Amino acid sequence: MYLAGAEKRQDLIEREAERRSCSAKWQHFPFSTLSHHGEACCDIAREWLLAMDFAQLNGGDLLSGPRWMRQKYKWGPTAWPIHWCDAVERDTLDCGAHAAIAHEAFRARGVTSYPAQFVQQYSPDATEQWQKKWSEDDVSCHWIDDGVIYHEGVALLTGEDEVKLWDASAGWWINPRQQPHGYGSLLAVRIHAEGQFGVGDGFRWGEHRIKPGAWHEF
Amino acid sequence: MPAQIRIYVSGLYCGGNPQPGVGIVRSLRAAFPSSKIVGVEYSNRVSGIHWEGLDDVWLQRPWDELDLDIYAERVRELVGGGALWISGSDLEAMWLASIFPEGHPNLLAPPMQALKRITKPEVLGAKELPVKIPTFISTDHSDWDLHAFCRQHNWRVWLKGPYYDAARTPSWDVFEAARNALSKVWATQRLFLQAHVSGYEESVMLSAYKGELLGAVSMRKRDITPEGKTWAGDVTEVPDEFLVPLRRMVKALNWTGGGELEMVRDAAGELWLLEMNPRFPAWVHGATLAGHNLPALLVQAATGAIPKPSIAHGEEFTRVVLEVPVRKDFPLPPLPEPFAGAVGHSMKHPSGLPALAERLQESNPHMLEVIGDGDGTEQVAKIPETMMQDLGSYDFAQVQTPEFLFMESTAASLFKRASERAHRLSTNEVQVITGYSIKTNPDARLIKLALDNGFLAECISLAEAQKALEVGFRPDQVILNGPGKWWPEGLMPTEQMHAVFCDSVADLDRCVAALASGEMKSKHVGIRIRTPNIRSRFGIPLDSPATFAKLVEAVKRLPTDTAFGVHFHMASANVGVAQWWHLFESILKWCRAIEKLTERDIEMLDMGGGWFPDDVHDGDEDKFAKAVETARAVLPNVRQIASEPGKAMAQPSMALAMRVLEIQEHEDDYVEAVVDGSIAELPMYFFYPHRMLRQCGETGEWQPLKRGKTHLMGRLCMEHDIVAANVQLPEGTRAGDLLIFCDAGGYDRSMSYVFGRG
Repeated sequence: MYLAGAEKRQDLIEREAERRSCSAKWQHFPFSTLSHHGEACCDIAREWLLAMDFAQLNGGDLLSGPRWMRQKYKWGPTAWPIHWCDAVERDTLDCGAHAAIAHEAFRARGVTSYPAQFVQQYSPDATEQWQKKWSEDDVSCHWIDDGVIYHEGVALLTGEDEVKLWDASAGWWINPRQQPHGYGSLLAVRIHAEGQFGVGDGFRWGEHRIKPGAWHEF
Repeated sequence: MPAQIRIYVSGLYCGGNPQPGVGIVRSLRAAFPSSKIVGVEYSNRVSGIHWEGLDDVWLQRPWDELDLDIYAERVRELVGGGALWISGSDLEAMWLASIFPEGHPNLLAPPMQALKRITKPEVLGAKELPVKIPTFISTDHSDWDLHAFCRQHNWRVWLKGPYYDAARTPSWDVFEAARNALSKVWATQRLFLQAHVSGYEESVMLSAYKGELLGAVSMRKRDITPEGKTWAGDVTEVPDEFLVPLRRMVKALNWTGGGELEMVRDAAGELWLLEMNPRFPAWVHGATLAGHNLPALLVQAATGAIPKPSIAHGEEFTRVVLEVPVRKDFPLPPLPEPFAGAVGHSMKHPSGLPALAERLQESNPHMLEVIGDGDGTEQVAKIPETMMQDLGSYDFAQVQTPEFLFMESTAASLFKRASERAHRLSTNEVQVITGYSIKTNPDARLIKLALDNGFLAECISLAEAQKALEVGFRPDQVILNGPGKWWPEGLMPTEQMHAVFCDSVADLDRCVAALASGEMKSKHVGIRIRTPNIRSRFGIPLDSPATFAKLVEAVKRLPTDTAFGVHFHMASANVGVAQWWHLFESILKWCRAIEKLTERDIEMLDMGGGWFPDDVHDGDEDKFAKAVETARAVLPNVRQIASEPGKAMAQPSMALAMRVLEIQEHEDDYVEAVVDGSIAELPMYFFYPHRMLRQCGETGEWQPLKRGKTHLMGRLCMEHDIVAANVQLPEGTRAGDLLIFCDAGGYDRSMSYVFGRG
């Protein structure tokens, strides 16, 4: 009885720690990637997307965010897995698909980018709306947790160890000076990269240091 | 007990592009609650006079009727009597500096020397700051040069006034209209064009007293109005790498007062300085809310009074719209009557600031000249030597004007140079060949020059192809493209053509069928690609994966014994030179994708369209050589690149001679000269400037036309028949004098029409 009680207590402590950790729910969550049929349909879709992205640069800087994608693809429910040929033809994509194609576009431009996962704070009212919308489309709501959501984007390497975080679904760079609380704020980020950055301190994002491969909570 | 601080604050305009006065007042009231703050304004239509934080309002008559001498005396009395003055208006600050050239301890605005050092666009005083200045050109330059500047910067340029106001000028006609409007508003021809910098706007606000920097903060715009003005922002400390040189700058300028450096941060993180304002910005109170009360620091420095501590409410601020009660002493004036037949009420500049600009200009024309590459003397476009020789070969007594003049040696030299360049750019692997676009000018003399110089003939119809054949081209030297290339029926060459480019998938299918039936023979068959990011009606669209997939499938249907090519044309003169080169790179990426997906080698590239002559003939040959290299690297199977510079060959090859019919002199030196030429001969007048000459009736000397107040009115009874605006006819010009419009050999000639000739 004594041991069982201790285990129960330990379990409660861990749960409490997890509850306090905004990213815990998505600890083992992989970032999104588009699937490929291995056939011409997906080849054409991918080539079109990458050539179109370069065209849309209009001579602008290669480090510019591909805002045109958000104009073409609204943000909304997406059933996974999704293939290239399907994704590029759709009117609506979720943040995972937005981020995946933005990541591919950056890479095709020759700039270094990494998949990035975010946890953001919104409000129960907002998440209730999204929950309903996703459920109506019969799509998983795993990304919603009360007033907090899981989101995806891209980390763009702009210097030796400096990154900018592109929110492909919003069409903006996330503000590194933002407060780590409040509606729309970024609570945590995980950048999927391998290697030593910043002499082991990780990526520099504004005043923050973010170690690759691990959730960084603000 | 210390005497009550009295502060006069101006610039209370609170419209969509607000002045900082109300923000300054709010900040001062927070820091010095018992001070007496008086709002200064020049129109009772300015809503800031009703702000509750003002103890009093000192309302002056608008600047256009204000007696500046009396007013200056009153201001001297005020500041001499111990009152402080913080100006919230650039032009007022300039006027104050003209009254107090060396400043005054109570005038919290910069001295004249400092203002002269921050004149835009060059902002010499900010040279030490870690910022770049966007490329600019003074409008003192000739129209020819200004057009070149716009092309070089992809028509993403701003025409800016000497004080404020800026107009985006995406085309020549818009530029001309904006130049007229800005010149009128600010009473000066001295404007400048500046290249647009894409990025995020941020500012540094500073406060300084007698050359000592008291404080500075950085603000990034986080929300903007439709005019691009701040609506919300975040405020932070200025980083040391900026602050240290800023401190030196303030010292060097002996700055007093507020100031704002307006900048753009580009995608690579570089800062570009747009301008420096000699006053606090309108978001000044946003910084106060973030704990940085810079107006308070200024008053503290001037008086020694200790302000109440600033409380930081957070780093971010935003604006809201507030209704406030109107002061009883300043009831609202009636709304002016709309101009008859006009839409809306013209309400800009209620305090008459443009009038102040004009008065400042009159009192001291050199007070704030646009410093830069202009010296106020208008430069005239150079006329090439060959053109002068060509003009010399005509007996104008025998020329019945209006008449196009063939510039024989000019044309010969252009075709020869283009041919030689193509030869130089060719390598063992890739032949570069120039195409002459027949539609730019189907004059047989030009087609013959093209033939003699080894060009291909680029035709958009079978009629044009027939014309090329008549002049001597062989069918295998003809390229056929465009949506109407099969018109008219019955003129299809029976022998093999060099290339046919299809404008749609249906067109490509028809070609495949025509090849199979033997109805058409062509060494190359290809596709014209429609640029996906710039509107065009030509070529096969790529704007969706579905259309791209259809294109891929169609190309696969091409017979394997026919060489495949891709055609890309976009008028570089319209989209800009750098933009054209980006399109070229972009098209290469599409080509590579098409090659990969169709497994068809691209053997011929046809690229070009609508180049302005100078951009080709005097352009950077290395750029073209690199393009050939790049094309070869991306598309290793390319054997031939046809470069079709469009109007660049034809435009300089003809001029239009016309005569003055009548000169009508109006008020204010405005002149209307009626000429026998018209827009029927110069339909491209609206799209680019022409170099113009007048032949002196007495000496026969050729005199270039400068910019001035004369409009050349065409002979047609059409309201828009104005062939040149804002030129200056040389002294002594009279009816019967000969005028020459150079650069009329392209679409002016080929699109000219018969009108008003009976």
